[in-house]
Amino acid sequence: MKMAALCGDFAELVPLKKQLISVITLCKERGLLHSAKWASELAFALDPLPKDEVPPAPDFTEEDAQDLDALMLAKSYFDLKEYDRAAYFLKGCCSQKAYFLYMYSRYLSGEKKKDDETVDSLGPLEKGQVRNEALRELRVELSKKHIAGELDGFTLYLYGVVLRKLDLLKEAVEVFVEAIHALPLHWGAWLELSNLVTNIEMLKSLSLPDCWIRDFFMAHMYTELQMIKEALQKYQNLIEAGFSKSTYIISQIAVAYHNIRDIDQALALFNELRDQDPYRIDNMDTFSNLLYVKSMKPELSYLAHNLVEIDKYRVETCCVIGNYYSLRSQHEKAALYFQRALKLNPRCLGAWTLMGHEYMEMKNTSAAIQAYRHAIEVNKRDYRAWYGLGQTYEILKMPFYCLYYYRKAHQLRPNDSRMLVALGESYEKLSQQVEAKKCYWRAYSVGDVEKMALLKLAKLHEQLNESDDAAQCYMLYIQDIFSCGEQLEHAEVSTALRYLGQYYFKNKLYDEASLCAQRCCDYNDAREEGKALLRQISQVRDQIETPSADLFAPLSNNNTPVRRVSPLNLISFTP
Amino acid sequence: MASVHESLYFNPMMTNGVVHANVFGIKDWVSPYKISVLALLYEMSASKVSLPERRRLNKLILPLQQGPDLTLGQFLKMVEECCPQTAYAVKLRLHEMANGELKDMEYFFSTLSTHPSFDTEAYKTSVVGLFMRHMLLAYNKLSFSQVYKLYKSLQQYYHSHYAKPTDGQVSLPALVADDSDMDLTSIEDTVGDRMDKEELDTPLHESELRNDNTPSRGPLSQKQAEYFLARQAYLLKNDENKALKPAALQEELNNMLKFNPDFAEAHYLNYLNSLRVQDIFLSAHSLLHCFDRLILSGNEGKSNGDEGYGRSLRYAALNLASLHCRFGHYQQADLALQEAIRMAQESNDHVCLQHCLSWLYTLEQMRGSDSTVLTEDSVKMAAHFCLPYLASLGIQSLVQQGATQGKSAHKLMDALKDTDILHWKHSLSELIEISLAQTTSIWRMYGKSTMALQQAQLLLNMSSLEPVNFSVQQNNTEAFAVALCHLAELHAEQGLYSAVSEILQHLKEQFPPHTQHAKLWMLCDLKIQFERHMNEGKYHLAEPLVTAISALNKSEGLYRKAQVLKALNRSTEAYDVLQRLQARCEKTKSTEVVIRVMLSTAELHWESSGFSTALPLLLQALALARQHHLQALASETILHLAFTQLMLGVPEQALSVLHEAIEPVLAHGAVMDKGRALMLTARCQMAVAGFKSSGQGQADVRLAVLAVDTLKEAASYFSRLSCKERLRDVHYLQAQLHHSLGQTALRNKSAMLFRLLDQELQSPAPPVSMRL
Repeated sequence: MKMAALCGDFAELVPLKKQLISVITLCKERGLLHSAKWASELAFALDPLPKDEVPPAPDFTEEDAQDLDALMLAKSYFDLKEYDRAAYFLKGCCSQKAYFLYMYSRYLSGEKKKDDETVDSLGPLEKGQVRNEALRELRVELSKKHIAGELDGFTLYLYGVVLRKLDLLKEAVEVFVEAIHALPLHWGAWLELSNLVTNIEMLKSLSLPDCWIRDFFMAHMYTELQMIKEALQKYQNLIEAGFSKSTYIISQIAVAYHNIRDIDQALALFNELRDQDPYRIDNMDTFSNLLYVKSMKPELSYLAHNLVEIDKYRVETCCVIGNYYSLRSQHEKAALYFQRALKLNPRCLGAWTLMGHEYMEMKNTSAAIQAYRHAIEVNKRDYRAWYGLGQTYEILKMPFYCLYYYRKAHQLRPNDSRMLVALGESYEKLSQQVEAKKCYWRAYSVGDVEKMALLKLAKLHEQLNESDDAAQCYMLYIQDIFSCGEQLEHAEVSTALRYLGQYYFKNKLYDEASLCAQRCCDYNDAREEGKALLRQISQVRDQIETPSADLFAPLSNNNTPVRRVSPLNLISFTP
Repeated sequence: MASVHESLYFNPMMTNGVVHANVFGIKDWVSPYKISVLALLYEMSASKVSLPERRRLNKLILPLQQGPDLTLGQFLKMVEECCPQTAYAVKLRLHEMANGELKDMEYFFSTLSTHPSFDTEAYKTSVVGLFMRHMLLAYNKLSFSQVYKLYKSLQQYYHSHYAKPTDGQVSLPALVADDSDMDLTSIEDTVGDRMDKEELDTPLHESELRNDNTPSRGPLSQKQAEYFLARQAYLLKNDENKALKPAALQEELNNMLKFNPDFAEAHYLNYLNSLRVQDIFLSAHSLLHCFDRLILSGNEGKSNGDEGYGRSLRYAALNLASLHCRFGHYQQADLALQEAIRMAQESNDHVCLQHCLSWLYTLEQMRGSDSTVLTEDSVKMAAHFCLPYLASLGIQSLVQQGATQGKSAHKLMDALKDTDILHWKHSLSELIEISLAQTTSIWRMYGKSTMALQQAQLLLNMSSLEPVNFSVQQNNTEAFAVALCHLAELHAEQGLYSAVSEILQHLKEQFPPHTQHAKLWMLCDLKIQFERHMNEGKYHLAEPLVTAISALNKSEGLYRKAQVLKALNRSTEAYDVLQRLQARCEKTKSTEVVIRVMLSTAELHWESSGFSTALPLLLQALALARQHHLQALASETILHLAFTQLMLGVPEQALSVLHEAIEPVLAHGAVMDKGRALMLTARCQMAVAGFKSSGQGQADVRLAVLAVDTLKEAASYFSRLSCKERLRDVHYLQAQLHHSLGQTALRNKSAMLFRLLDQELQSPAPPVSMRL
């Protein structure tokens, strides 16, 4: 049944593997290293082919033979990053392969020069003017060939990249789709396309080739668009179709679990991934985030040391080390490592946000604001940065000001209780109790992570003398705390019990009150009050006993508000 | 995968986690255009030029230095207009450099520093001297590759001016690509681009179009950017029409911010620009962003670090309050303001507190509650802390409140005079304008149209007092809008409609409909149209205007609605509306409207012949008008009173009461009022003289002759407004008078005029007696 959900034909893995092997060679010849890496990883996950099934080298045309020497020479220059030189020797070659390499070297040469220029630029405002000068020429030439229909899959891909760099996004999408149709196995083109797809409607409107690789793309897209359930389903199907050994899929699933904060699942997958591929550095920053959230110091330390041994000048390594120091409360060092990560890749979003957190810990608010702002510059949809900005202003005691930032964060993650609780707290500080109540209730409804919303809501009701609502909330809170099983540090069950005891006592529900008082005695901070309440109850009961107990029994039952949860339920929550 | 292409495109140089906006510590840098300016300065000091030419060149220097980079063609043209000889010399020098070698440019810079006349002609700390030293410093800081790059761009700069289109074709693509940085406005380049496009034969793409169209291209240096921002901000405040269009400005700013997001000032301008188009989201976003950046720069810039840092936080909250205030979110504004006040209190910042206080009373006022006490406090405290701006702003606000609450006129005028002295002393030009506009309004309210006219003219003829005005003659501030509106209404009162339309046209140009103060003239325009239609008796035209008026001003709309209903004889509905309006206005304490409502109600009573019931109402109105010194309304009320008395059969009384009102009406009143007053006088005179409508009985001829004259005058006023209904009444009365005086020819003439008008109007004449 599940096989049917996939549009590609996975029944035969052998031709699929053959396709992969041939595309690896093609990519390698053209210097497209990342696509080659991806395809190789996938090919590795499949069973090896028998000898006679191994695909032969692609056909050698007359043109290829002509350009062979120039191509070999240029390719070696290209590999040594001498792009201009490579382009010079490829000029005039007519085979498709040579033409791609020729254009690609020119493109890369332009990019390299742009980077060098930036360092040498005359001033910060001039940075805007620095750009890859080769792009316009490349576009002119490529578009001429494009109209003539002389472009193959690889050159179409390059054309798309050039268009994207020129900010001609609409045209770029069209060209990438064309490139995918011409050469579906080139993962790079899919990936470039995925960067340009902004929403699900756009994704649905694209006409994609009917190929097995499409499922990989869709799964990737679902993860990007935060449609985790669909993504997980797709990946599961792929595993069942025969890619169970693929490290790529495992890592993607782990990242997806991370995104929906299913920490245990994600951790298990990452551990599995490390077993299979111990020298892997990709995605390890996500892994370290998980370890950090779980406060698993030894594991994080082990991971950090391990990664440093593999390659200490990788962005991921720096982030892992930063997390490690942060967990050890050495925030200066942590910030230093995040800075290093940013020097390696300034567009690394996570590092900016994490650095902001570190500065917050160090009480350097201005630097924190700066870091968060940078994160937002890189990606406007980074809710953690918005949330961090809100927190910064909250620390500066500007509750109204921080509302804006929390609202932004909430907008981006409508179902995240943390933003809602933060919003509620700010409203509470501004004495906007109505809004605060709404926020807390909503936070509880979307599944409160920190289990704080109900307590806060109850306290708010308590302040406003809405005792019924307060009791209701405390009751739910106690249920919530006990049902989640684990012991939380900040749990204030005693507060809730104390209030409930008093509440029942006031409403003359002495059985319930005494039950609460007894439970109070389990907690150190509420023991005395619990005992005092018990004494009071017994006193009152003694007084009541004397006239007539029968008269009061039905009355007290009537007093009970209808919607109140039966207090006897408490017994079942006992851990 | 993408990381192959994603490259390190900027290099965060961080200390303490703060990325410095200005990585190289240079505010200005050398560009080919700057070299041309340097060459000009050099030539000016080296060669002898005649005095007038020299003066013209001197005037040119500052704009050249501050403005954005020009193309060589534009630059040379400007210089040539001043002095062709120097232009030639500059061209020669640039030619030498561009067609020579790198060493020629190096030589130029080395001679520049050692040039003997450099010290004598341009003093070290003068604008020119500073500029030259800046340039030399920037040049000396350049690395080897940067010098080479500069030289290349100089060559291009020079050759793109001289390259013939035919020559340019050879290496076109490269040239186009390179030139895009420097000068896309020059002719050669557009030619090149066009060919590029023809070659392409594909639809034009946005990026290229954008490059071609933007007016000021080329990289801006920090200084140029600051100048640009300052200029645009000034224009936004004072003469929005001269500033760049919102979209164009936004684009410039985006461009600037894309690569230097730390530019807090640009964010602020972005905020102002979004306010202009009433975009709350973008403006809030930009404002917060601006302060996020400012907080940083404040921290490192000030020596007493903490102070500057907290300061911008307080003002951030305050600005947010003002933003919400502007969009009418009073509760939000209040919260933000409380926050600002709390922070200011915590850090003992009295100046900020005063600003908060002045916002607080403004907010209270906008919410419609009484804020006199707050305002008084604010004035006192502001005076104590020597903040003249806030103090006199407070006084002005007090004057405004006082005027509506009926404070005595001399007190208000005294207060205004005192603040005026303060303004001139501190040259607070903005407040001077407001003060003049306020005086205009107050005079207008008191019904002294001549004084109002004079004050309005004073404001409009005043030349700008700003120390630096970017060729702005007239500011489009609220004060000017108010004064112009008053002017328009005053002209309309006198029936000078062509002048009115001219003034309104000017207002429309100066304050386009989307701008902040446009509502002022819209209301004014509608009111004038309404009055005009009512006077001409075209009620069906006036009716649709009521809806538009209500949209702009609720109570004004209700009042006008009542008027139309009354004119259409739908008395019951009119009465309901008036009652509602009165309740509403008594709540908001707008006395003027209350009095007018009373007058209208009295008129409704007349229609049902309830003259005696109208009397107490009118007396109440009169007392109110006198109490608030509203002369125009007082005389209007007196007219009503006199009419009531006439109807009650005491014309002698009416005439004596009228004598009190006729003088101010003739001096200050609108043409309509003058006509009505005169007609009423004539009727009283006729009644006193003993005319009966039947024309019998013994008449006082002397009074009758007087009445003839009065009627003639009234007729001239009505005809000026083409108010035919009243003209008809006048002719009727004239005919009667002439008849009883036995002047048959004149009587026949009046009767004929009456007949003509009656036919034209078609509607049956209401009983002449029934209205004022």
